[in-house]
Amino acid sequence: MQIKTSISTTHIDYHQTDVLILGSGGAGLFAALHAKQANPDLDITIAVKGLFGKSGCTRMVQGGYNVALNPGDSVERHFMDTIVGGKWLPRQDLAWKLCEVAIERIRELENELGCFFDRNPDGTLHQKAFAGQSFDRTAHKGDLTGIEIINRLMEKVWSLSVNKLEEHRAIELIPAADGSGISGVLMIDIRTGKYRFIQARSVLMGTGAGPSMYRYHTPSGDKTCDGLAMALRYGLPLRDMEMVQFHPTGILAGNDTRMTGTILEEGLRGAGGYLLNGGGERFMHNYHKAGERATRDIVSRSMYNEMREGRTTPQGGLFIEMAHLGAENVARKFPGMVTRCADCGFDLAGGRVEVVPTAHYMMGGIEVDIDCSTGSPGLYVAGEDSGGVHGANRLGGNGVANSTVYGGIAGDEMAAYIKRDGEYRDPDRSIIEQGVARVEYPFSQVSGNSMELREQLWVDMWDQVGIVRTAKGIAKGQSQIKEHKNSLMGQGLTDGERSFNLTWHDWINMSSLLTVSEVIATAALAREDSRGAHFREDFLQTDDLETTQYTRVRQQGDGFVQTMVPVEFSIVKPGESLIDDEAGAPPPTQNNSENPQ
Amino acid sequence: MSLDESISHQSLLKVKVWRGKEDGQWMNYEVPARENQTVLDVVSEIQRKLEPGLAYRYACRVGVCGSCAMTVNGKPRWTCRTHVKKVSGTGELTIEPLRNLPRIKDLVCDLAPFIDTWQKAGAPFSGIQTRHQEPAKVDPGSKARKAADAGLQCINCAVCYSACDVVSWDKDYIGPAGLNRAWTLINDARHGKRAETFNKAFGEGGCGSCHSQGNCTRHCPIGLSPSESITGLKKSALFGLPKV
Repeated sequence: MQIKTSISTTHIDYHQTDVLILGSGGAGLFAALHAKQANPDLDITIAVKGLFGKSGCTRMVQGGYNVALNPGDSVERHFMDTIVGGKWLPRQDLAWKLCEVAIERIRELENELGCFFDRNPDGTLHQKAFAGQSFDRTAHKGDLTGIEIINRLMEKVWSLSVNKLEEHRAIELIPAADGSGISGVLMIDIRTGKYRFIQARSVLMGTGAGPSMYRYHTPSGDKTCDGLAMALRYGLPLRDMEMVQFHPTGILAGNDTRMTGTILEEGLRGAGGYLLNGGGERFMHNYHKAGERATRDIVSRSMYNEMREGRTTPQGGLFIEMAHLGAENVARKFPGMVTRCADCGFDLAGGRVEVVPTAHYMMGGIEVDIDCSTGSPGLYVAGEDSGGVHGANRLGGNGVANSTVYGGIAGDEMAAYIKRDGEYRDPDRSIIEQGVARVEYPFSQVSGNSMELREQLWVDMWDQVGIVRTAKGIAKGQSQIKEHKNSLMGQGLTDGERSFNLTWHDWINMSSLLTVSEVIATAALAREDSRGAHFREDFLQTDDLETTQYTRVRQQGDGFVQTMVPVEFSIVKPGESLIDDEAGAPPPTQNNSENPQ
Repeated sequence: MSLDESISHQSLLKVKVWRGKEDGQWMNYEVPARENQTVLDVVSEIQRKLEPGLAYRYACRVGVCGSCAMTVNGKPRWTCRTHVKKVSGTGELTIEPLRNLPRIKDLVCDLAPFIDTWQKAGAPFSGIQTRHQEPAKVDPGSKARKAADAGLQCINCAVCYSACDVVSWDKDYIGPAGLNRAWTLINDARHGKRAETFNKAFGEGGCGSCHSQGNCTRHCPIGLSPSESITGLKKSALFGLPKV
């Protein structure tokens, strides 16, 4: 990375690099690795909001990695499970590529990066059962697979000559002055509080989205949809934004602890755990014959209903109870979960732990092409920031496959793009100035507390645009979001210090979350049927699959424009299949006690 | 002390926090004591309600990212998984940055020098096979595989690095986490540079510098034993590389 002089008027440091990568999760690290492998001479810079390899959610993956390795499994089968699980909404060529390239990627992780996945007694990779899959195909390392994947990736990429900008927060994608493509990214060096413009021939966005605008949520604390908000301002279209996945069992420990919302793994229910309401009664069989073992969306909705009916614990949640399975047995089988709860003051093995459904993953995101490119030459997107792979519902184990498969593809493609025609573009300086002005704004206001506002947004999104939706509720949510937007503009900062000022970043986080909340609400209002993660109490039916359309939202001025776009069934049509038996149904021989993440 | 006073004293937690860098000062705060409260929650509450300029770091909230370690009542700990009750018998907390690392601001250190030790100890992995081959067959019950397994899942939180006295006086010492990683590589049949990794782990600043005080193992929040890995490395110098 070359350090140039500063752009005089606005005190912005100016650098150049061939490839700029935002984010160091599975997508960002794989992109860096592949771009470097494709062309070792490339100057590559990774900028990350937190620490290198520690920010984001790939590291938090518990369950594992879906990949068709077994001779009895196939890409076709993995693909069909993904399409049926996604309720025919995925972009099929993206889903196909995911399943196809996952095979090469898992070998790369195991053989070239050194991930030590768990083995069968015969020495082959062990693959476990996960919900919604017709074959046991989830490779894993214990129940903390993400640590192994990210540790190996980060030590590999750390060893390459790659520029690392830790604690650098991107605030604006900067187009070329002539509109020909991307010219670079404006960011804040969090440690010094200074602005930095990094001009790049090609930029990858892999910032990981994350539905942290909901009262209960699982993602890493640094995830606040910054990438999606930047993409909207840049003019890129987002798809499927109404599709927010909720996980049934988040810890409920009160409003004042960051533990609240974090996941207790689904294997607890799979192993026979009970969900109890505030009165101590099991309720899941009132909703579904599979009881506690029903799929994520059904359990989350049933729990939400139980809570809405007022049958809650004192804190407004429900209980999970494992004690009937024997405390010692539970402690042996789920040591990670039991110690995690114990550290937080709960006895999972022998007592009850309060739980709530918790916002987990955004299936929607920026519209990308099969090579991760966008409508703006030079700009690429991979991982949770991108949309279209998962459709209406993501299968457990397809998330980390998505970020690593497409991160690698983006790295290959960016290297090829630069070789082909990747010149530096002159930045549109007016956008740089606007970007600085946008985040400088709170310093001009008298003090406030954006965290209080964020807590209000949490509640409003949860109540109005959450697990169960109606047109009336969504409209109410939209007007609440608008009020919060106005309120945020009245919030300022008491501490004028720029260096590591977290309260400043809380303000910027809130700004990103409000933008993306509005988009979720817009898409949720537009989709007038129920499918996958999107449940409309006023439109209970799922529309005709053959005429499936997806939602597209883009920003126009200060508002958003929404359109419906037909899904192209480029590989398989509803009613057809690439496999003989039922996609998404558990394999017949399966003795399913393990379950998904 | 009246009953009222005693209740109000019990429900408030006295917290002393380091502010500044090497030069700085202790600041005192009081936050409500709560039933479910980690040290990270205490720090967050101070930033949100009392001291908006307070710098600290966290990410995952659940003990997998290793971003939030600090020195709490004199000991290095992961703050997201440290319940206040476990450490504040006196109703008081003292929170300062990790030692042995450059300070950035308040409770935040630069972890890069710690991660650099990874490379010094013989990482990264160098595979014998490529993406064009099936994953190697590895007997999950073999001694080497079990030894490697025991040392994996390190979250690189730098707690051991901060706890280690040798690191504090010998800046060339690789430290417990890097050596632990080297031991897992030496036990990995798929790693093509086992001898090279061993040489690095045994070379300057390597396992020979360890004084076997065991602070790393005592403080590791996830229960790994770098001490045992370092012992394994030292034995290998006498008996040769482990059979894989």
